[in-house]
Amino acid sequence: MTDYVDAGEAVPHKTLSATKGSAPATGNVDFERIKAAKSEPQNWLTYYGSYDGQRHSPLDQINKETVKRLSPAWVFQAGMNGLHSGASTYSFEASPLVVEGVMYVSGPDGKVWAIDAATGEELWRYKWASPYDVSLCCGNVNRGVAVGHGKVYMYTLNAHLIALDAQTGDLVWDTVNGDVRAGESGSVAPLIVKDKVIVGSAGGEFGLRGHIDAFDAQTGERQWRCYTVPKPGEPGSETWGDENAEAWQRGGANCWVTPTYDPELELLYHGTGNPAPDFDGGVRPGDNLYTDSVVAVDVNTGTIQWHYQFTPHDLWDYDSTMENLLFDAPDGRKLLAHADKNGYFFVLDRTNGELVRVFPFVDRITWGEITPDGKVTPKVYPDEEGVPVHFWPGPAGGKEWTHMSYNPSTGLIYVPVQEVGATATRRRREFRESIPYWGAGVAVDLDDFYGYVAAIDPVTGEEKWRWNNEYPMCASTLTTAGGLVFQGTPTGEFVALDADTGEKLWSFQCGSGHHSSPSTFEVDGRQYIAVPSGWGGWVEGFLPGLLGAAAGDALFCFALPES
Amino acid sequence: MTSTDRSDELAAAGLDGQNRTALGRLLGTGSIGHAEKGSDGIMRATVRIPEDELIWEPSILVFPEGGEVELTLINDDKNTHCAVLPHNGDPKIIWMVNHSKGTARLSLSGPGTYYYGSTTGNDEGRGLTGALVFGGEVPDSAKQDRPPQPRP
Repeated sequence: MTDYVDAGEAVPHKTLSATKGSAPATGNVDFERIKAAKSEPQNWLTYYGSYDGQRHSPLDQINKETVKRLSPAWVFQAGMNGLHSGASTYSFEASPLVVEGVMYVSGPDGKVWAIDAATGEELWRYKWASPYDVSLCCGNVNRGVAVGHGKVYMYTLNAHLIALDAQTGDLVWDTVNGDVRAGESGSVAPLIVKDKVIVGSAGGEFGLRGHIDAFDAQTGERQWRCYTVPKPGEPGSETWGDENAEAWQRGGANCWVTPTYDPELELLYHGTGNPAPDFDGGVRPGDNLYTDSVVAVDVNTGTIQWHYQFTPHDLWDYDSTMENLLFDAPDGRKLLAHADKNGYFFVLDRTNGELVRVFPFVDRITWGEITPDGKVTPKVYPDEEGVPVHFWPGPAGGKEWTHMSYNPSTGLIYVPVQEVGATATRRRREFRESIPYWGAGVAVDLDDFYGYVAAIDPVTGEEKWRWNNEYPMCASTLTTAGGLVFQGTPTGEFVALDADTGEKLWSFQCGSGHHSSPSTFEVDGRQYIAVPSGWGGWVEGFLPGLLGAAAGDALFCFALPES
Repeated sequence: MTSTDRSDELAAAGLDGQNRTALGRLLGTGSIGHAEKGSDGIMRATVRIPEDELIWEPSILVFPEGGEVELTLINDDKNTHCAVLPHNGDPKIIWMVNHSKGTARLSLSGPGTYYYGSTTGNDEGRGLTGALVFGGEVPDSAKQDRPPQPRP
């Protein structure tokens, strides 16, 4: 036999592509610049566009009059290769960031790209290798990156926080922050505050102890960790049964959605997830703090300054991880708005957590009742072994993680609403690390569902208008000074609504359902709207009636014709 | 069940080769190998494509922990194949003509399992999909502050 032919050494796959390998240098994005993000609307510098979570842009080139001419400027296809985790549940959930004409966006399966925001040309790519067998409650997804300090930060499926060079995409540092053997994972878009990068844990369906972490943005060294379930002796531990109880050890309260932040108060407003087991409250007597809450966390120390629990002793999987949108009342009072899975819309004083107002924002609520003064009365819940119980909203909630937006011109908050019920049957089980820990069999309704965008005045609680849709709304809204609200539907349409009236002004069929957060930016005087499209994730939870819909992983970018 | 029992069962069912019961070779039915960690900390192993079997041998490679990997890949088949392998940063690809030998240097985190394959035609489906399995635990700094918990 002759000697082997020399096959050489394996080379990066991207070297056999048209990717350029580098992005232009941009001005440094630091804390001061992100804090003043609204002063440079040509960019979308941070997850929500600004620390307050309003998802509003002052750009108005695309407006009520011009939007009818909105057309695709370019499309970016993510693509998949080989066997990957969550092979049938991947979804394109991110919110694209843009800095001076360079877009940074993450996709499913550990992918990050820098893209020319005007042309769609791929500038560089990075792919973190994600284990095929990592525990993922809700699909192979990532909600986005943070950009700053010359770096791009991503939290990986296997709970590594990584920092990439913003110009080359090369790895700068890698810090392990979660225990995949315990069922922990990562999906949140990191947030840069001061010299820190903030991330929260995911894996609430596996009986974890939730936490929020801050890392040095330059080195990756952890600065603090804040557990969202207290251990014995800590404030709130009395809400987890007697001192011998073990429920706190696997209590949940994970933080898988990016917090909002008030720079004056120096408080992070982080939503927390469901308690574990989700539906079996018998093994965790008490209110189970700080599950299903907003926790106001001192960004300097990681300590909880106040909290408000939206669903004490949750028995319906009503995470409260979704955003806490910051706005000021006409009298200047500093407020926070939160549309919870439980179907109620809360307005709190964000300086101290005091309840200002609570009212329902969905049509059907049967699990219980919350009175205007905040008193919670559960009514229907799975408390008897083997007995099915139907309730509204289902475990995905009246609104899931996908975000609402606030337009200061109209004073309205635009909420994507899901009207879907579910049946849970309590089935007690022993806890085992990395095995789903629900405590029930759950089937979300396959019929009798619908959705709408609700325009809500948070000052009065009045619903000003709604735009109805045959299917629940499972994507974030975006609102602009052009008097528009953008919303993707589960059936692929990307829709522009009149922010004042809810009238549909424009739509485009993207070919796969929307479960992401669109953003807007401007390059060389031209405004763009970017939206990842790709149906997937926890579809069996929020809309199983579309479990058979086509998946996808394309990023559409729209603009007005140049001529 | 012993490994011999398992091999016998696969053979009896016609699942241990190409174009017997199935069209291709059932994934994960090859042998299991273990990487060796060198004094330089690099974990090394060799995988081979035997003639007309369309399988990586061993088809499951076990590594003690995540880290730096050096694989030697040998194509003893009389057809051309390739390998696209997971790697933190970007997958790596090597083209392997008949009777060729090459290397792949990979960086992968553990614990966890990764799959690689020959991405030409449907080599992956015919059996040329291999597993890289990394054991170990995450660092203590990444673990939860709680007592040890029961595992399955």
